[in-house]
Amino acid sequence: MAELDTSSKGGGKHGGGKRAKKQSTRVDLTAMVDLGFLLITFFMLATTLNKPKTMEVNKPDNTEEDKKDEPKIKMSKTLTLLLGDNNKAYWYVSPDEIDASTNLTLDSIDYSPNGVRKIVRRRQREVMEMFGADKKDELFVMIKPLPGSKLKNTVDVLDEMTISGVKRYAILEPNDPIDSLVALRINQKRK
Amino acid sequence: MPKVKIPRKSTAVDMTAMCDVAFLLLTFFILTTKFKPQEAVQIDIPPSTAQIPLPDKDIMKFEIAPDGKIYFGLDDQNTRLKLLDRLSKEYNIPFSAEQKDAFKTLEIWGMDIKQLPAFLSKEANERAKIKQDGLKIDTIGGEHQVEDLILFSRQENPELRIAIKGDKNTEYKSFDKLIKALQNRKVNKFNIITSAKGKQE
Repeated sequence: MAELDTSSKGGGKHGGGKRAKKQSTRVDLTAMVDLGFLLITFFMLATTLNKPKTMEVNKPDNTEEDKKDEPKIKMSKTLTLLLGDNNKAYWYVSPDEIDASTNLTLDSIDYSPNGVRKIVRRRQREVMEMFGADKKDELFVMIKPLPGSKLKNTVDVLDEMTISGVKRYAILEPNDPIDSLVALRINQKRK
Repeated sequence: MPKVKIPRKSTAVDMTAMCDVAFLLLTFFILTTKFKPQEAVQIDIPPSTAQIPLPDKDIMKFEIAPDGKIYFGLDDQNTRLKLLDRLSKEYNIPFSAEQKDAFKTLEIWGMDIKQLPAFLSKEANERAKIKQDGLKIDTIGGEHQVEDLILFSRQENPELRIAIKGDKNTEYKSFDKLIKALQNRKVNKFNIITSAKGKQE
């Protein structure tokens, strides 16, 4: 409680009262900075840095009603990509009409720029040569993933469509007779 | 030669500016941070060149694990509650107030709807340990739970957009089942969540 201040020397003007020593207002901020950076580190690590992107997929309406009115696409304007397992894709071009002389070439490709992209570009060129230069966008790519293919494969192919500027493409089911033939030949399940 | 006397300087540096910077950055990170949402399973999303960012709200999210299990999540807590009320009505499952609260905080889940009450009664940390079985994607006895989820959620919030987050090694088969369910509910437009890939390699 009340203590006698014996240490004060020569009680100045304030008559024996303790003289307030003028203290520096500086505080050691090192600890505060430490804390600040610690929290920064925490928040930096806890943040999800790259926001996920999305890829929009539009599927054709599967209601049966107006299927019949749709104009048929000329098969020679199409390219069919069958996505199989083991990161392989198979492509073929269906002939307009199947007869005895029809010879279907089937080729397996991978998802690198040398695979799918090359084929897509080639078909774009071929369509242009056959139907005229203004018909570049007429190429219709049918993407048919087999059950064994990975989601990555589908995303890759959709990506290739954007890269090569294919305007018309669709993810379809491998329902075509040719598809079952192909699936049989590459020894994969179609359903 | 005169001796140069180096005056001894104090090593104390003025920290004020550094402190200011530290807290400025701290504020920035606190305000921009969005914590990683809890995950039912680890999912490695495929890379793509797509540039559309995922919208922040009104998202109905499906996650497909590599083993084909499907999980479901809504981003908005109110919609979650409304969905639960709908489910309890349509499936005749009563939910207690605590179970509703638990469902409200559930970011993502995947199981038979009938197992939900038991799951929701558990403690939060216990729930995290349980391996969920995935949604019932197949039609069983005339009811299709995934289709119902899609329908009810969209009826409760018509603005909902559908995002599908699939592991890159998910087989297309399970993806296709989900798409069929979506299409049966007249959803023909959806987004696949991908990670950004650099320009072309």
